[in-house]
Amino acid sequence: MIRLQRCLDCGEAQYPPREFCGACLSSRLTWETAESLPGRVLARTVLHHSNESAMRPRLPLTLGLVRFDAGPVAVCFLASTAASGDCVEVRLNAEALLEAA
Amino acid sequence: MSSQSYQKVALCCPVTEPYVRRSEHGAAWFLARTLRRLIDAAGITKSTIDGLCVSSFTLPPDTAVGFTQQVGLSPRFLEWLPMGGACGIIALRRAARAVQAGDAEIVACIAGDTANETSFRDLLASFSSFSRDAVYPYGAGGPNASFALIADAYMRATGATREDFGRLAVSQRANARRNPLALLRAPLSLEEYLAARPISEPLHLLDCVMPCAGADGFLVMPEKRARALKLPFVRILGAIERHNAFPGDPVQLRGGWAMDRDALWNQAGIGPDDVQMVQTYDDYAVISMLQFEGLGLCPPGEGPAFVRRHDFTIEGSLPHNTGGGQLSMGQAGAAGGYLGAVEAMRQLLGTAEGRQVPNARHALVGGFGMINYDRGLCTAATVLSAA
Repeated sequence: MIRLQRCLDCGEAQYPPREFCGACLSSRLTWETAESLPGRVLARTVLHHSNESAMRPRLPLTLGLVRFDAGPVAVCFLASTAASGDCVEVRLNAEALLEAA
Repeated sequence: MSSQSYQKVALCCPVTEPYVRRSEHGAAWFLARTLRRLIDAAGITKSTIDGLCVSSFTLPPDTAVGFTQQVGLSPRFLEWLPMGGACGIIALRRAARAVQAGDAEIVACIAGDTANETSFRDLLASFSSFSRDAVYPYGAGGPNASFALIADAYMRATGATREDFGRLAVSQRANARRNPLALLRAPLSLEEYLAARPISEPLHLLDCVMPCAGADGFLVMPEKRARALKLPFVRILGAIERHNAFPGDPVQLRGGWAMDRDALWNQAGIGPDDVQMVQTYDDYAVISMLQFEGLGLCPPGEGPAFVRRHDFTIEGSLPHNTGGGQLSMGQAGAAGGYLGAVEAMRQLLGTAEGRQVPNARHALVGGFGMINYDRGLCTAATVLSAA
């Protein structure tokens, strides 16, 4: 499951999350939950160097800037076959993030 | 309403505390050495300095405030400018206004950082809340990964190639070879640039600035005071800054310069064709291209053609990053935000020694800083003139 923050007053979706709406400054926010979020890859990089030694065994890593159809842009791990311009479904991969932490 | 002019303000005494790859000293040591250099260069006493602007990533937990006690200054004007690659131009603006308003007479503007095994990583891991939460966990690539994404989008939007970025890296190295302050002075060919190992594709090793320790600074004072002190000086013809420009752009293919470019040139009273050199904030080459476009040297999206058309070496058609830029000098943290302005001052004062641009009257300097999440938020630029 993946959660996206949305403002109850102006309807704007936002990411990264924060305690207020970046558009109208309302504090009335909600979380929308979905299996995955559709989006499009805006840009892609293959990372060969990490500043964290714990990440290094996983290199090279494919990363992308993905714009959700809902609006916000997120930095994501990409499948190595994904290319800029591709439509993708973004899921939360807790395992990948925990390894990174 | 247009911004008032910066007339009757003098920029004096560009100084550099030489860069080193690593240091056991703290940031305050580099900043204090720089302050000392300014005092010596101007022939003034420490207590004559009544204004201070400070930028540093590694000075915390101290800020400009704690630094005043460390160095025994009692300024009546104090700025802490954590604005990364835009901090030099923004310091110059703040200091000039303080001098014009009489809030300070002699303002020391300094920026610098130390560098050791852990300082860079520590800085990246907690650079901003957005970065900590939503960028760094994805591979911990730091700025290399963030700029790689911008470079990838820019290459696809404009047709820029690695060779285009390489032309900038190679010409800057040629300039650095004539600058004893540059850390990287070995000859560099386009072939060597292209053969470098990948770091975060499309960026390779020679696209990335080398973190180092060091500091830069200059003084801002009334022209009258500079004359009384017999200090050669440079004038500010125009200066702009903008933060979080174009937040609706999905990827950063333009910086805030585009919003304020006309105001800059109107204030300066000259145009992009009237400068004899350009100093861009060059971490990374793609950002130099965004400055060429955003500051009106070429139309949006035509950065690659502009780069192919020009020779950016000292005797070339448009000398660019004449000291070598950060790509060849190293990036001493916040000092990277001063480097372009300090180099332009040296050139306009005629003190650039082995790399002097002939007949340098006007210089354009760009600043860019703070990848808070997916883009740099601070942009600035100034047009400087020989007195």
